[in-house]
Amino acid sequence: MAESSPAPVVEGRPARRTPRARRSAAAASEGKTAALGRRAVALSRFYSGKIETVPKVPVRSLRDFALWYTPGVAEVSRAIQSDPERSFDLTGRWNTIAIVTDGSRVLGLGDIGPRAALPVMEGKALLFKWLGGVDAVPLPIHAATPEAFVATVEAIAPAFGGINLEDIASPKCFGILEELQRRLPIPVWHDDQLGTAASTIAGVLNALELTHRSVREIRTVLLGAGAANLVTARLLLALGHDPHRLSVVDQRGVLDAERDDVDELMVRNPWKYRIALQTDGGGRTGDFAHAVAGADVLLAASTPDPTTIRPEHVRSMAPSPIVFALANPVPEIWPAVATAAGAAIVATGRSDFPNQVNNSLIFPSVFRGVLDARARSIPDEIVLAAARELALHAHDQGLSTTHLLPTMEEVAVFPHVAAAVGEAAVRLGIARRPLSREEYYARARQLMDRSGRLVRALARARLTPPMPSAKALPERNEG
Amino acid sequence: MNASNETAASGPADTPTVPIHLRPARPADVPALVPLLMRLKRLNEEFDPLLKVRDDAERQADEVLRAQLSDPKAVILAAEGVGADKDKVVGFVRALVRERPFYTPEWEGVIVDIYLLPLYRRRGVGEYLLRETSAALKAKGAGVVTAEFPAQNEIASRFYAKRGFRPIQLLHARSL
Repeated sequence: MAESSPAPVVEGRPARRTPRARRSAAAASEGKTAALGRRAVALSRFYSGKIETVPKVPVRSLRDFALWYTPGVAEVSRAIQSDPERSFDLTGRWNTIAIVTDGSRVLGLGDIGPRAALPVMEGKALLFKWLGGVDAVPLPIHAATPEAFVATVEAIAPAFGGINLEDIASPKCFGILEELQRRLPIPVWHDDQLGTAASTIAGVLNALELTHRSVREIRTVLLGAGAANLVTARLLLALGHDPHRLSVVDQRGVLDAERDDVDELMVRNPWKYRIALQTDGGGRTGDFAHAVAGADVLLAASTPDPTTIRPEHVRSMAPSPIVFALANPVPEIWPAVATAAGAAIVATGRSDFPNQVNNSLIFPSVFRGVLDARARSIPDEIVLAAARELALHAHDQGLSTTHLLPTMEEVAVFPHVAAAVGEAAVRLGIARRPLSREEYYARARQLMDRSGRLVRALARARLTPPMPSAKALPERNEG
Repeated sequence: MNASNETAASGPADTPTVPIHLRPARPADVPALVPLLMRLKRLNEEFDPLLKVRDDAERQADEVLRAQLSDPKAVILAAEGVGADKDKVVGFVRALVRERPFYTPEWEGVIVDIYLLPLYRRRGVGEYLLRETSAALKAKGAGVVTAEFPAQNEIASRFYAKRGFRPIQLLHARSL
């Protein structure tokens, strides 16, 4: 909207101040991240890990072990042996998932290996319990090849009601997810693909509503062709987006069916190849600037550099453009810069700006839902059901350009999303335990609330030591 | 070249309707064939460092194609698109009839290049190309049809295996 947009300003200041504002925001953010890192190391040493196993049955004396363990337990095993599905009734399997990683793409750290990935997986397990009431086992594994990884996860699956794949490099994450989904009779989820894509889709649905657009008519550019964006593209197509108005752009430019490297993609990254064929560049070829001109929606999940998307890119888009700059920790364009360049709606991956696209809004509820339904799988329809419910919740709470999605404080959304997921599983015929939407909701609410009560009770009883102050816990000898 | 190669690919019931028109290549096609041949060689490069494409490969492609277009032992077919892609060469096959002095059948038709632009794949075109090429090779006296492709190319391997091909000779290599 080059004609109608005002001269670029940042927070009311003239445009020439933009680089300085940009630098100071980046520097402040870096300083804050470093301080949090030092404190996290100190606390990790103090608590020595973030989760532990806690009994869920009474133990009055050792005599009770005749029931919980041998000889009584043998009958429980026999029952499962004669009907394997009973493992969901008679053990904790119904509520237990594995968080599996090979540590090949952890946060922004890259390939740090399984041992170094463990603190991240512990944190994820804590989130699963706190937000979703899910018992999650952190399980970084050493696997030399994707085949070995798949075989290992298949081998441990009998203990779990679901598998959460985490922080696995693209493109091998696609093949691993597809193969495990094919082999296992339980839901397998890769958060970096599905969780991020689902929360992105939720944000897009509401952004379209706010700007009176339909997914069937828009032109969309996806900048970045990694785990999240390739799934976002797939989900947009499933929602009826015209493939010939969808351009995926990577470092080499628009991904079209005749690009020089397309045969190489067929061999090395068939998922990207598939999108190249389906969209054929969305009617564009060439570079990002060429693709984004006239687009309604720009979804960037690419490089954490605030100059990746330039104000002129935003200005070249259709009127009231929608810009999601989702790279972490630094978005592809600072929200103020995008807004000044005419963006009607801006979302990022960060909690310190409005409209955080956050997979934590999705994964605890999705797992709560599929576990309560004892679902056999987790098809895209489930992912879309979660996205729609998330979008609907923000809508019901009052949609605006700065309230596109629920925030993490709006915890009421979680059981609603879980119920929508459970209901979708029943509709798709993949629920081992079909219940009504109200029953799924009540159950999710109860299990989610219980986690909070549990954590607070442990703290009250001083079984969890209170968090030491920064002064009481020196940081300088850590690291 | 058998006249049947001139027909568009929409034949009787057992022939799937394919969105191409297959015909013998002509010298005028060479500028359009070279980029396709180069795409195939660059794909092969992905599979093995000993298949690294030469700096002068484009000029070589031009020369080889021009020479073989007048070679009675070569079969070069051009696949043209239909509809919006009418008159655009979207794929090609290059095959050579070679003598087998010690084995029977004594003439072998070797498919050395077969390439289709991505949007024309998985629509029965490859199968059609293979069938027409086999017929053309047979017409030139070949009693067996073979295909050459990089050992690591599993997609090609599956394509031919599905159509009754099996490995009969292996080519092992090491640098000197």
